[in-house]
Amino acid sequence: MNTREKFSAGLLCLGLILALLPDPANRSLTVKPQKLLNEVLNGKTSYSVDQVAGFIVSGDSSVLIIDLRTPEEFRNLNIPGSVNVPYNVLLNNDPAIYLNNDKTNIIFYSNGDFDSDYALAIARGMDYKNTFVMKGGLNEWFNTVMNSRFTGTRISARENALFETRTKAGKMFTAINSLPDSLKLKFIRSKLTAAKKLDGGCE
Amino acid sequence: MEIMNRYKVIIAVVLPVLILVLFRSFGTNHFKNDFRKWAEPSLTRTNIITIEQAPSLTGNRLLICLDTNVIGLTSLAQESQNVPPDSILTKKYFNIIRKHSGPVLLYSSGNDVSGRIWMVLSQMGCTNIYILTSNTDNEVFKNKFRPDTLI
Repeated sequence: MNTREKFSAGLLCLGLILALLPDPANRSLTVKPQKLLNEVLNGKTSYSVDQVAGFIVSGDSSVLIIDLRTPEEFRNLNIPGSVNVPYNVLLNNDPAIYLNNDKTNIIFYSNGDFDSDYALAIARGMDYKNTFVMKGGLNEWFNTVMNSRFTGTRISARENALFETRTKAGKMFTAINSLPDSLKLKFIRSKLTAAKKLDGGCE
Repeated sequence: MEIMNRYKVIIAVVLPVLILVLFRSFGTNHFKNDFRKWAEPSLTRTNIITIEQAPSLTGNRLLICLDTNVIGLTSLAQESQNVPPDSILTKKYFNIIRKHSGPVLLYSSGNDVSGRIWMVLSQMGCTNIYILTSNTDNEVFKNKFRPDTLI
């Protein structure tokens, strides 16, 4: 085989390999199935609504909360600081657009469990280890955080801290969702500024 | 034979690639290409079925109980199998599901387990799989928000 033939054959091989490669737009999940199964079944992929309430109250910037519901549902009600990426949008676009940030823990929520669990399985299947769900969704948020009432006579320090976090998160939720859309973003920023002033200390 | 000798370098390169691609395409122990296509029923919610709707599914129904001691559900299907969730991809159970000719109903007391397993199985190319629930309104907002009118 002379050089020209070798070169032609090399190009042919390259073309064949490229033709056989799957279309990146139609990609599949990349992790091993059993690994994915183990990941999605272990409890470490779920946050409780109390944990999420804690992130919101503390203004934890290492957490990104993604609301998987429709834009209409999001406009009506949303968890403070969350961003809206409807489940169908997440599926129909490249999930990397929303998930490719390994410095942030991404928490999915929807009204219930299903949509966030599907999103979690897909995201973890694409090896986004920083993805989690808020267990129970917005319905559980209401049951636990918004409808939190203390009825006993004695309260332990731990219960008190939990109750306080729920109350603060509930107030933030009520405040932000009572505002018109145009004012919601301004409200979040003003809250963060106020919190910084209260904390005091050196800049 | 002369052609084989002449193009042995090319064959040596192309053949393993071809084998790998074929293995990837037709192997059952992998996720299928185009995750969107396999997740489609989750968008339309046609993958969720209630206990009342289950008998209307035609074909030989197989109930996969992901919790032990599920009482009263076995009558919904002609066949039933208790499967620990973390063992569902073992050859024994996965082949039962994959080779079953009728609808497969996944049941767990917590919807999160059946929902996540549904997605894993679907992405592996299993079709005709349903999540069996007591109601279909899991993704419906069930509370009433009272805005603060003083803000």
